[in-house]
Amino acid sequence: MRNKAAILWLLVVLSVGAHQVWFWRSARLDTDVLALLPEDEQAPEVGAATRKLADQAGRELVMLVGAEDWDSAQRAADVVKAELSRDDSPLKASALDASALDTALDLYRPYRDRLLTSSQREWLSKASPEELGGTALMKLYQPAGPRLTDWEADPLGLWPDWWAARAAESTARPRDGRLWLSGEGREWVLLAWHSQVSAFALGDEGNITSAVARARAAMEAQVPGSRMVSAGVPLYAEAAASQASSEMSTIGIGSLAAVLLLVWLTFRSVRPIVLVGVSLALGCAVALSVTALVFERVHLLTLVFGSSLVGVAEDYGFHYFAARQGKPPSERWPLMRGLLPGMVLALATSVVAYLALGVAPFPGLRQMALFSATGLVAAFLTVACWFPLLDTGELPVTSFATRFAASLSRWPRFTHTPAWWVGTAALGLFVVGGLWRLGTRDDVRQLQNAPAHLISDQRELGRLLGLPSPAQFFLVGGDDSEQVLEREAALKAKLDPLVAQKVLTGYRAVSDWLPSAARQRADAELSARAEAQAVSAVAQATGEAPTRARFSDDVLTPERLLSSPASAAIRPQWLGRLGDSQFSIVMLRGLNDPSVLPRVADVAQGLEGVRWVDKTREISSLLERYRELMGGLIVLGYVAVLLLLVARFRRQAWRAWVPTVLGTLVTLACFGWAGEPLQLFTVLGLMLLLGMGVDYGIFMLEHPGDDSAWLAVALAGVSTLLSFGLLGLSATPALRSFGLTMLLGEVTIWVLTPCCRLPSGKDVS
Amino acid sequence: MKRVLLLVALLWGAAASARDVVSQVRERLADVPLLRGDFEQKKTVSGFKKPLVSRGAFLLSREQGVLWDTKQPFASTLTLTRKSLSAEQGTGAAAYHLDASKEPGLAAVNEVMFALLSGDVKALAKRFKVDGELVGAEGWKLTLTPTDTGLQRVFRSIHLEGDKYVRRVQLEEARGDSSVILFDKLSQTPPPSDAEAGRLAK
Repeated sequence: MRNKAAILWLLVVLSVGAHQVWFWRSARLDTDVLALLPEDEQAPEVGAATRKLADQAGRELVMLVGAEDWDSAQRAADVVKAELSRDDSPLKASALDASALDTALDLYRPYRDRLLTSSQREWLSKASPEELGGTALMKLYQPAGPRLTDWEADPLGLWPDWWAARAAESTARPRDGRLWLSGEGREWVLLAWHSQVSAFALGDEGNITSAVARARAAMEAQVPGSRMVSAGVPLYAEAAASQASSEMSTIGIGSLAAVLLLVWLTFRSVRPIVLVGVSLALGCAVALSVTALVFERVHLLTLVFGSSLVGVAEDYGFHYFAARQGKPPSERWPLMRGLLPGMVLALATSVVAYLALGVAPFPGLRQMALFSATGLVAAFLTVACWFPLLDTGELPVTSFATRFAASLSRWPRFTHTPAWWVGTAALGLFVVGGLWRLGTRDDVRQLQNAPAHLISDQRELGRLLGLPSPAQFFLVGGDDSEQVLEREAALKAKLDPLVAQKVLTGYRAVSDWLPSAARQRADAELSARAEAQAVSAVAQATGEAPTRARFSDDVLTPERLLSSPASAAIRPQWLGRLGDSQFSIVMLRGLNDPSVLPRVADVAQGLEGVRWVDKTREISSLLERYRELMGGLIVLGYVAVLLLLVARFRRQAWRAWVPTVLGTLVTLACFGWAGEPLQLFTVLGLMLLLGMGVDYGIFMLEHPGDDSAWLAVALAGVSTLLSFGLLGLSATPALRSFGLTMLLGEVTIWVLTPCCRLPSGKDVS
Repeated sequence: MKRVLLLVALLWGAAASARDVVSQVRERLADVPLLRGDFEQKKTVSGFKKPLVSRGAFLLSREQGVLWDTKQPFASTLTLTRKSLSAEQGTGAAAYHLDASKEPGLAAVNEVMFALLSGDVKALAKRFKVDGELVGAEGWKLTLTPTDTGLQRVFRSIHLEGDKYVRRVQLEEARGDSSVILFDKLSQTPPPSDAEAGRLAK
C-alpha cells in the first residue's frame, strides 16, 4: 500500500518532468497585463474590441527621431535606420511610404465624387452657380497645384481637401520622402518598425530593447543633440519579462536558500535538506505543468507569485522532520500516520484559501490560485508518499533544535492578569485607530510595473503624434454595417462641437474612410449637381466643351475597402459581426485631461447603439467590486473556519482562530497608520492569511506540549516570512501589496499563536 | 587657332560636372531680395483643346512670399506666404485659404515656388536632381527632376531658362498637364506698396 502510493506518485512526477521539458522549450509565457484582467461579463464585445486593438499593436514599434533642425533630424534617422536594418536586427521597417498612398488613391478614385468633408458638403449645398464656376476657373488657371486627378474628374478641386482632412488624423506629414513632424522645439522623423520575433519568447529577452538602445547610442554619438522617443508593446513585454525573471530568481532562489539554511541549522544532516528540496522542486514543477495544461499559457506574474510558494510548501517537510528528530527509523511510518490528520487539515485550509483567490474571474488570479493549490498538494504528496520511504537513517536531536524548541516554555501565554488586559486594550486602540484611517484604492496601475522611462516615452509620443487613446473609445453597434456607419455619423456630429472647443483634438472612425451607402449616394448627387454647374461655367468662359468624368455606379462597400491593403490602419476599428450585431470603434485623439471624460461620455447619451467605453475606469470599478466581494468572503471564511475548528477542537478552537483574526486586523491597522490603501490584492493576501495562519494554531493544538510541533511551526513561520517578505520587494504594486500583507499578518499570527497555546498539561479533548 | 581654343573650351565645358553647371548658373543669376514683373501663362489641360492662356503681374519677396495676380481672362489673386496660401476671385465670389500650420506640406510647396521664381538653385537641389547647360554668354537652362516622393506626385519635370533672371518656367505635371510661364519686364523695384505689403503679411 505504502509502496503503491510512492510508485504512483513517481509516475506522476515522471510525466510532469516530460511535460516540463516540452514547456520550457516552447516557452508559452504571457507578459501582457491585459491577460491578467477579466472578461467583461456584461459586454463581451468590449473585450473583443480591446483585444483587437491590443493584438494589432502586439508587434509594432513606433519611433520619433528628432533634432534641432530638419537636416540633423534626417541624419539621425539615417543612423537609426542603418543600425536597425542590419541583418541580425530583430526589427523590420514598416512601410510608411508613398506606395501606400498610391494604393489608397487607386482604391478611392472611382468613388471620388461621393467623398466629401462636412464643410464641403455645406459649401456645395449653398454655393451659387457663379461662385462654383468662379472657383473652378480660378483653380483651372492657377499655376500647377496639388492635383490628384485630371481636371475633369475633380473640376472644383475637392479631392485634395478630402485627403487633407484624412491626413489630419496624424500630425506627421510627408517631407523629402520621410514622415516629418515638428513639435516640442524639434523637428522629428517618424519611423515605424515591426518586430520579427515574438516579444513573449523568454530567453531572447532584451533583444529589441538592446537593439533600440544600440541604435540610440549610435545616433547620439553621430548626431549630437539628437533625441529618440520610442514606444511599443514589444518594449513593454521585454521589460516585464526581464523584471519577472529577476524577481523570480530573487524571491524563488532567496527563499529556497533560506529554507535550506534553516533545515541545515536545525537538523545538521544532508538528508532533510535533499528531501525538503525535492518536495519544493516537485511542488513548483507540478504546479507549473498543471497551470500550463489548464490555461495553455502561463503568465509571468504567476511565476513570480508562485516563487513565494516555496515559503509555504516546506511546512509539511518541517513537520515530518521535526517530529522525526531523535526517534528511531523504525517509527517513521506510525509517525507519519500521527502527523497526517493535522497536516491534511492544514493543507485543506491553505488550499481552500488559495482556491478562494480564484473566485474572482481574473484569469491571472485563477492561474495563481491553481498554481499555488496544486503546488501545495504536490509538496504534501511528496512528503506523505516518499519521505518515510527514503528517510531511513538516524536523525539525532541537534542542540539548535533543542534550544529552539525549549523557547516555547519561555514564550508568554495569555492569562487574566491586568498587564495582559492593558496590553489587549492598547492593541485594540491601535487596531481601531488604524482601521479608522484606512483608505481604499482601486486603480488599474497596480497591475503595471512598466519602467518609468517607457511610460514617459509613450506619453510624449502620443502627444507629438496625436495618437488616439486605446483606453477610452466609443463602441458603435447596429444590425448591419450600414446602420453602424450611420450611427457613427450621428456620433461624429455630436463630437464635432467638442473638437471645436478643443476638448479633443479629433477622432478616428471607419466612416471617415467609408461613409454609409446613403451618405455616399447623397454626396454623389450633390457633387454631380455642383460640378455640372462649374463645368458649364468653365465651358462658357473658355469657349470649349469640357465634360465631367464618369464615376462608379456602385457605392464603396465595407468588403471592398477592407479587402484592400489601403484600409490597414482603420481595419482594427471594424470589429465585424459579434452575435447578432455589427460593431465598430470610434477612437479619440488628444484626450489628455481625465477631467473632461464625463463630458465626452455624455455624448453617447441618447444615441442608439453607441456605448462609451472607459477601460481604465471599468477595470478600476471591477477591482473595486471584487475587493468588496472578497472582503465579504473573508468574513464568511472566518466563520466557516471557526466552525471547522470547533468541530475538531470544541471549546479550545478560539486558540487557533483568534491569532489569525488579530493578524488580519493588525495588518489592516498597520496599512491604515502607514497610509497604504486597501486594495483588491491586500484583500487577497488577507484571504490567504486566513488559510495559512490557522495552520500554526492547528499544529499547536494537535500536538500540545510537543516541542517538535513548536519547532516545526517556528521554522515554517520564519521561512514563510522570508518568502513573502521577498515578494514585498516586487516592483509590481499588486504583488508588493500582497507580499506586505502576508508579511505583517504572518509575523503577528506567528507571535500571537504561542500566546494562545493550551496551558501545559491540558489537552484538546 | 581660335577654333582649337573653342574646341578645348567646349570639351572643357562638356567634361564639367552638372554640379559645376549649377554653380555657374548661380553665378549668372542676380541675387534678388525682391522681384516684380509681368507673366504670361499657357496651360495645357486634358479636356481642353487649346492652351489656357492667362496674363498678369507678380511680386516676389524672398522674405515674405509671392503675389500672383491674374488680370486676363479674368481677375483673380493668389497670395502665397510662409504661413498660408489664399486665393480670391476679383468679384470676391470665390475664395479659399489654406493655413500652413494646419497643412505643413504647404511649407514645402512655398519653398519650391520661391525657389522657382527666384532661381534659388541651391534650395531646388534639395528636392530635385538638377541638370543643366550654359547658353551663350549670359543664358542658361536647367532641368529639374523631383527626388522627393511628394513632389513626384505633382511634377514629372521642370525646365527653367534665364539669364540674370528666370525668364521661362515649364512645368510638366505628373498627370500629363503642362504649363509654360514666360516672365517679362522684370525689375527689382519699386518696393511693395502698402496694399501688397498688407497681403504679404497675412
